[in-house]
Amino acid sequence: MQSRTTPVPFLSGRLRMTDYEALLKPLKIRNLTLRNRMASTGHAAGLAEDGMPKDRYQLYHAEKARGGIGLTIFGGSSSVAVDSPLPFSQIDVSSDRIIPYFESFARRVHQYGAAVFCQLTHLGRRGHYASHNWLPLIGPSANREQAHRSYAKEMESWDFKRTIKAFGDAARRCEQGGLDGIEIIAAAHHLIDSFLSPVTNQRKDQYGGSLENRMRFGLEVFQSIREAVGDNFVVGLRMAGDEMMSGGLSAQDCLRVATAFGNSGLVDYISVYQAHGDNFANLSAMLPDMSYPPAAFLHLASAIKAEVDIPILHASAIRDVTTANRAIQDGHVDFVAMTRAHIADPHIMKKLQEGREDDIRQCVGANYCGDFAGSGGVKCVQNAATGHEAFMPHIHVPTTPRRKVVVVGGGPAGLEAARVAAERGHGVVLFEGESRLGGQINLAKTVPWRENMGGIVRWLESQIRKKGVDIRLGARADARAVQAERPDVVFVATGGSPAAPQIDGAHLGVSTWRILDGSVEPGSNVLVYDEMGLHSGSGCADFMAQRGAAVEVATPDREVGAETGHLTHVAYMRKLYEGNVIQTPNVKLSQAYMEGNSIVAVLKNEFTGAEEERVVDQLVFELGTLPNEDLYHALKPLSSNDGEVDLEALIENRPQTVNTNADGHFQLFRIGDAVMSRNVYAAIFEASRFMAQI
Amino acid sequence: MHGPDLAGIVLLLAAAGLVGQMVRLSWRWRVGGTASVDWVGGLRRLAHAYFHTVHEVVARDPYASRMHVMAAGGLVAALALAFVLHVGGMRGRAAVALASLILVSTAVSVAGVALVAWRRRPPRPRRLTGGTFNLLPAALLGALVFLCGSTVQVIRVGGSPEAFAPSSMALALLGTIALGTLVMWSVEGPMRHATAGVVNLMAHSRPRRFQGRIDSALKPLDLTGLRKPGPHLPIVGAVTPASFPWPRLAQFDACVQCGRCQEACPAYAAGQPLNPKRVIQDLVEATTAAQGGQSPLLIAEAGIGGAIAPETLWACTTCRACVHECPMLIEHVDAIVDMRRYQTLELGAVPAKAAVALETIRDTDTVAGRALGSRLDWATDLKLPIMAERRRAHVLLWLGEAAFDRRTQRTLRALVHLLRHADVDFAVLGDEERDCGDLARRLGDEFTFQDLATRNIETLERYAFDLIVTADPHAFHTLRNEYPALGGHYRVEHHSVTLDRLFADGRLRAGDGPADVVTYHDPCYLGRYNGEVAAPRRLLGRLGLTIAEMEWSGLRSRCCGGGGGASLADVPGERRIPDMRIAQARATGAAIVAVACPTCTGMLEGVIGPRPVVLDIAELALAALEAVPGAAEAVLAS
Repeated sequence: MQSRTTPVPFLSGRLRMTDYEALLKPLKIRNLTLRNRMASTGHAAGLAEDGMPKDRYQLYHAEKARGGIGLTIFGGSSSVAVDSPLPFSQIDVSSDRIIPYFESFARRVHQYGAAVFCQLTHLGRRGHYASHNWLPLIGPSANREQAHRSYAKEMESWDFKRTIKAFGDAARRCEQGGLDGIEIIAAAHHLIDSFLSPVTNQRKDQYGGSLENRMRFGLEVFQSIREAVGDNFVVGLRMAGDEMMSGGLSAQDCLRVATAFGNSGLVDYISVYQAHGDNFANLSAMLPDMSYPPAAFLHLASAIKAEVDIPILHASAIRDVTTANRAIQDGHVDFVAMTRAHIADPHIMKKLQEGREDDIRQCVGANYCGDFAGSGGVKCVQNAATGHEAFMPHIHVPTTPRRKVVVVGGGPAGLEAARVAAERGHGVVLFEGESRLGGQINLAKTVPWRENMGGIVRWLESQIRKKGVDIRLGARADARAVQAERPDVVFVATGGSPAAPQIDGAHLGVSTWRILDGSVEPGSNVLVYDEMGLHSGSGCADFMAQRGAAVEVATPDREVGAETGHLTHVAYMRKLYEGNVIQTPNVKLSQAYMEGNSIVAVLKNEFTGAEEERVVDQLVFELGTLPNEDLYHALKPLSSNDGEVDLEALIENRPQTVNTNADGHFQLFRIGDAVMSRNVYAAIFEASRFMAQI
Repeated sequence: MHGPDLAGIVLLLAAAGLVGQMVRLSWRWRVGGTASVDWVGGLRRLAHAYFHTVHEVVARDPYASRMHVMAAGGLVAALALAFVLHVGGMRGRAAVALASLILVSTAVSVAGVALVAWRRRPPRPRRLTGGTFNLLPAALLGALVFLCGSTVQVIRVGGSPEAFAPSSMALALLGTIALGTLVMWSVEGPMRHATAGVVNLMAHSRPRRFQGRIDSALKPLDLTGLRKPGPHLPIVGAVTPASFPWPRLAQFDACVQCGRCQEACPAYAAGQPLNPKRVIQDLVEATTAAQGGQSPLLIAEAGIGGAIAPETLWACTTCRACVHECPMLIEHVDAIVDMRRYQTLELGAVPAKAAVALETIRDTDTVAGRALGSRLDWATDLKLPIMAERRRAHVLLWLGEAAFDRRTQRTLRALVHLLRHADVDFAVLGDEERDCGDLARRLGDEFTFQDLATRNIETLERYAFDLIVTADPHAFHTLRNEYPALGGHYRVEHHSVTLDRLFADGRLRAGDGPADVVTYHDPCYLGRYNGEVAAPRRLLGRLGLTIAEMEWSGLRSRCCGGGGGASLADVPGERRIPDMRIAQARATGAAIVAVACPTCTGMLEGVIGPRPVVLDIAELALAALEAVPGAAEAVLAS
């Protein structure tokens, strides 16, 4: 008598406290009803072409709508005027040319039942004069912006007139294009909040001085917008709950701003975030990565919600639906945005509604999106389809003919290949030589604040297990083992091994891998020599410093951790400085030798050639990897294509049809670091792109 | 013609005994409440009721049917003919013809009795009762030997046999013992099924059943007396045998203990403390106990023991499988609900979670405890037409509790897409829709049911519509069959019927999807309660799907375990009902279990471990529609 009847979910009534009820509840903003309380905030996706949101941009957002989101806000920092710079390939809303693009954008999102807004701004002094129109930047006062190293012209009366009108005109264009609303950003030291902040506004006229005066420009902008649009059009405000800047707007000041705007009758909702972004250290607080706790800044939005009667939106490191639901249920905010979470998985709400929470690919907070959207558009370190919706589906469907696929190597490339193959209905065998899946990600996650990286593997593993992939752990496959599976397609994703510097005495050093995997204890006086500028070098330095080592990082680059991305770099710098790690850029390791019990490392200045020596007890090097290609070469003669890739077909997303060996039994491809040393995204993207055509 | 011979006297004595026994029985049933019985109508339909309605059930077990036709038919015929021969004193050539008919009848009956005995050979099937039932073949055989012997004697002698001849004496003794036993057993024993059974057929509480119709609606409790304050409030529900009108006691007494109900009961199969056969026998024993003037409690109360454990009542899913299988036309579910009514309304002795559910329904008019205004939360993007704004529509779409559950919202979403695609003019009640009252009623809370029903009827009366369509068989049954008694008369359709028609009419088309094999799980409240087992199967066929039937399906389908509030009462058992059902589904090899009820969806999807995918017929229909080239885009555009 131990088992009981399974209760019917909906019959359990009050007993079920959390069924994401708060998150799934519709929300009325002005006259618009959102189908649920999940949004994606405006972000510069780097997808605008010629200042216009074309197909790629539209499909990227339509996918969120298809995935069940309530509201998607596109066009982060879309410019309302010709002198608003476009430093991160944003949208230009300064002319009617935009309207047809808005129309098809709205149609594409609306067909899936979501609402769509565009975020509008005048960037003011935030940018560089060397922008598309080469016009002088403007601001409330003639002071300098640190991030873009730009000064601004103090606004004259004609600047006020045209700028305020430009906001109204841009809003009208959004409405004419069929959008449901707009969001005006008055944060990140764009033009409106440059007026609000005493740091950037030193005016003596009616726009400067008291907070009331400093708010005047913003309120006039909203007045102009409200007059330009109809009654159903939603106009929101995005602002900081705390400028987090010495001499800037405190949380108390921001509360007063929110109250004034929120109760003005001109604003329909307020989206609260934080920081100013004038420098990268502060910008990282605006886009908190995995080094921040979940919902790190919810308290700021909660304070404003307590004082203002219009709906409050908040986004910042809300990485999972449970946290999102709780934030709403507990009354902190009215709706939440999980913007980066939707970059990782645009189908969050759909999966939630289908009771498939486990299938949600959770954002790990790697900030690859924020760091690298500028180069080629938005992308996610773990989701190759993001930003590539036109040719790479987020949901694969079974295909014919059903093939037998063998994947060798269970790192990110191999896992992704296995996942896509299984989703496409192929029979998959995955060999992994180690006792666990994950490859180099297992090293990456050993750096304590980067343990979230393990989430990439966790999700991929759960998916391939669900899809019934035959996983052979601890099985280092040779050619015979691969052949025994009688495969149609073989993917070699065997990864690489650490490369060593080509110097005398290279044998005296150890790779970062051996430190991170625990096989070599950190020394007490260590030189980390990093030629990659990626996570392994800086991460290893941090790892050892945290274990008490005196660490110096030397690199031929202009700075340590140069390739980690501008947001992630902040976290590394914070950790390295906190760990008293000495950073020595612009030097190349030229040789190493033993002297007594110590290692002498010779560092040669890249510019002068001058040499300096370090006497250490441990030399750690990071030079990326060289491919593990034995298996690949062993399989080549057995394959039908000799490993050859039709590169045109690959980039044009056509199937691979090379057939050079009539005796070959299977197609052979290698992916990821088995080809050349690259990053996680490259491995996953490559695996996905190949596999989507098989 | 001569007077009765010795055998005739025995027969006369037996007949007199039978009359006496009938008087005893009626005396026994006097414990019950009064009832107005249409005796003339009952008598008129008796033959039809027996040979048609009862036999339809009996014939589902061909062995039992053959057995009963031969044993009982032969015996009754032989007895009737023997009466003419021995009591009427027929002699001569006509007597020879009559005698040969008697011999044939007894031979047939003996063969039937042999089947009775063979069926009871050790090990006796678990569903059959032992005790005096095991002696029945012997008693019958004794009676048949008596009839046979007396008849042979008449033929052999060519006139009245010598009354005091040893053979006559012996036969008379045998006849007296055998027939006496059978007559004795017609009040307390295995033959009561015949005596009480005949009365049950004439005085049955659901006479519509004899018209070949399903009669599954619960009868409303008259609450008017309770609404008037006063010192002597009537007691509601069943607390002792006296609470039942007397024909219901006769009905319990008609139980032949064949155990078909036990075999069909999902709770019994799950090892829960409910055996419908036992429940009826407990009611019979309670009736016997009540003869002493004492009215024993049916369920223990205030430290006084009862005939039935409360867990037994709450384990019932009200699936009506027992009722469907009962050859004596006993209404087990009515009895259980009557007893639940007393437990719930008089004692408030409802199991914990069910009590919370009832409280929630009373407070919020929903089972889920949601605000009425949130019933359309899931459908914001669908912009459903609201009755309050439209005033009239061809179809009123009744959403039910499914609208509050993430899983079943997907079913409703699919249904809305299908109706839109087929251009069906429909509207929903939105925040005016209240729970239909099904759960409250099955849990015995008749007050809440009538309150909800009355207010729903008030709402429905305000609007013009031709048809109510719902994807919830419980709402379907309640609105269609139980609202009329409270003044709400509507044409109500389950969505399987609607969709089947739309596909048949060509208003919806199925594309060339994968020709999956599915198994269809009949919802009790659609199948057994309303007889609709064909439409969902037709629909699945139209979708290009092949049906692999489960071990129990159609009108004999196994419950999912979720009906009647049983999942809330959560009475412990050895197995889970939904697990057992999924095992049956798995055995078909089908990849999909097609369901047509939000409760079934929840119960079957709650089964852990590998199992077929659970999809509502609306979801399958939408998938088939979307397989039509261009249809998915059109669905999106609607």
